[in-house]
Amino acid sequence: MSSKPEIADALTIAEIDRDGALLEAVANLYGSSRADFLRGAAFASAAVALGLALPSEASASPKQDVGILQFDLAFEYLQSTFYTQAVRDRTVARMKPEKQRWAHVLGTHELAHVAILKDVLGKNATKKPFFNFHGVTESEEAFTKTAVAMEDLTVALLAGQAPRFSNPALTSAVFSLLTTEARHAAWARRLSGARPVAAAFDEPKTLKQVSRVVQSTRFIAARPQTGRRGKPRYTG
Amino acid sequence: MLRRRRRLAAAVVGITALIVAALVLGGSHGTPRAPAADQDPAALLPDPVAPAFKPTLRPADFTTPASRWAPVVRPAEATRVPGGRAPIARLATSTPEGTANMVLLQPGVRVVHGRMWVRVRLPVLPNNTTGWVRRDVLGGYGEVRTRLVVDRRLLTARLLRDGREIFRARVGVGAPRWPTPSGDFYIRNKLTTFDDAFYGPVAFGTSARSAVLTDWPAGGFIGIHGTNRPDLLPGRVSHGCIRMANDDILRLARLMPVGTPVTIH
Repeated sequence: MSSKPEIADALTIAEIDRDGALLEAVANLYGSSRADFLRGAAFASAAVALGLALPSEASASPKQDVGILQFDLAFEYLQSTFYTQAVRDRTVARMKPEKQRWAHVLGTHELAHVAILKDVLGKNATKKPFFNFHGVTESEEAFTKTAVAMEDLTVALLAGQAPRFSNPALTSAVFSLLTTEARHAAWARRLSGARPVAAAFDEPKTLKQVSRVVQSTRFIAARPQTGRRGKPRYTG
Repeated sequence: MLRRRRRLAAAVVGITALIVAALVLGGSHGTPRAPAADQDPAALLPDPVAPAFKPTLRPADFTTPASRWAPVVRPAEATRVPGGRAPIARLATSTPEGTANMVLLQPGVRVVHGRMWVRVRLPVLPNNTTGWVRRDVLGGYGEVRTRLVVDRRLLTARLLRDGREIFRARVGVGAPRWPTPSGDFYIRNKLTTFDDAFYGPVAFGTSARSAVLTDWPAGGFIGIHGTNRPDLLPGRVSHGCIRMANDDILRLARLMPVGTPVTIH
């Protein structure tokens, strides 16, 4: 890790410090030198709540199964858009071939996860939120670090939720996502120079904990109002 | 040679003793014997639960070209070069219609004095102006895969998605006194539920502006909308706006998202 602040970091600090935080998982990974940049309080907002609505903590039930899957879908939207934007920003094209392949493979997997969760949820599938990555996808260093944090967080999310389904077949299916995400995390960690395996045990996180981390990033933004009811004043 | 034979004999005696001891101890402590062929322990374990779903890889759609737009989230100045001082345009956060102001992203990202700048298409006169704005005055990026192409000679509008035509209609364009400007623009907003038959049921605002009706209310922006005079279509009949039959504009409204690039030939 370079001690010199990188360009996108500077932009991200400017964007994020006002409100607080970036991924605490990155802070854990990269230590206290990034604490000011990364650590901070969680901020809830209506916009974020729309993107990551928490299902109830009640005992397992088909209704709760849907709630957990909706949360997982919102998270997969976040991940797939994150990789897609880095490709569109040409950040991935500027990386070494090995990292390009990694970003393309992970992006493709995350898109597949979105597609299958939408299929499974059917009419209960939530709409894709609007994202603002605050320049993180436009710098290789910021993109890589955030990818590591995001993959680690996904592992913690799925490890926490897989046992909560009332339907064992859903638990089994989410385990198949979990193992894939764990490999993503290890791959991302290796490419970023971190240890591929963080610890002897992965600690699961609750939905509330994951939601708090995501909210702190402010990656889920209010959708801009691009339409309204009202009389035009165009030239006619 | 003799030494090797002695070692071999000792090993045979040792192994035999171990086998005997294991059999004796096993029998005396009542531990289960090796299962019979029909009692394979693996057969006693449940089968794994079949997953409820299994993702299948599909072609990654991030390799398909798309256009991107972004809302202006802070009042900003656009400059001719990244990091430039003299503004060529000032951008508000909202349009005259009260929707979020937006710009269309163009290829180009530069870093100047630690600040990221991006190149954007601007909703200003002269038409077709592009400039540079700081990345942090823009919000997140929206993405569209559509493009509207208007042909003033053939009087047609065609909507393409991923390069394939999905909509076509005959249109009215500006009269010779008030020509529809040519060039590259984008859809800035979409207005509905207004009580004015002149504009039909739906009206899209574009980033194009009339070069002659500059004192028109709200700046003389060019719209794409329905009409109460379908009998005049197709033709050169408008003040610069692109008019189409109400059925056509309703169909277009279902297909064309805000942020769609517009090319007027």
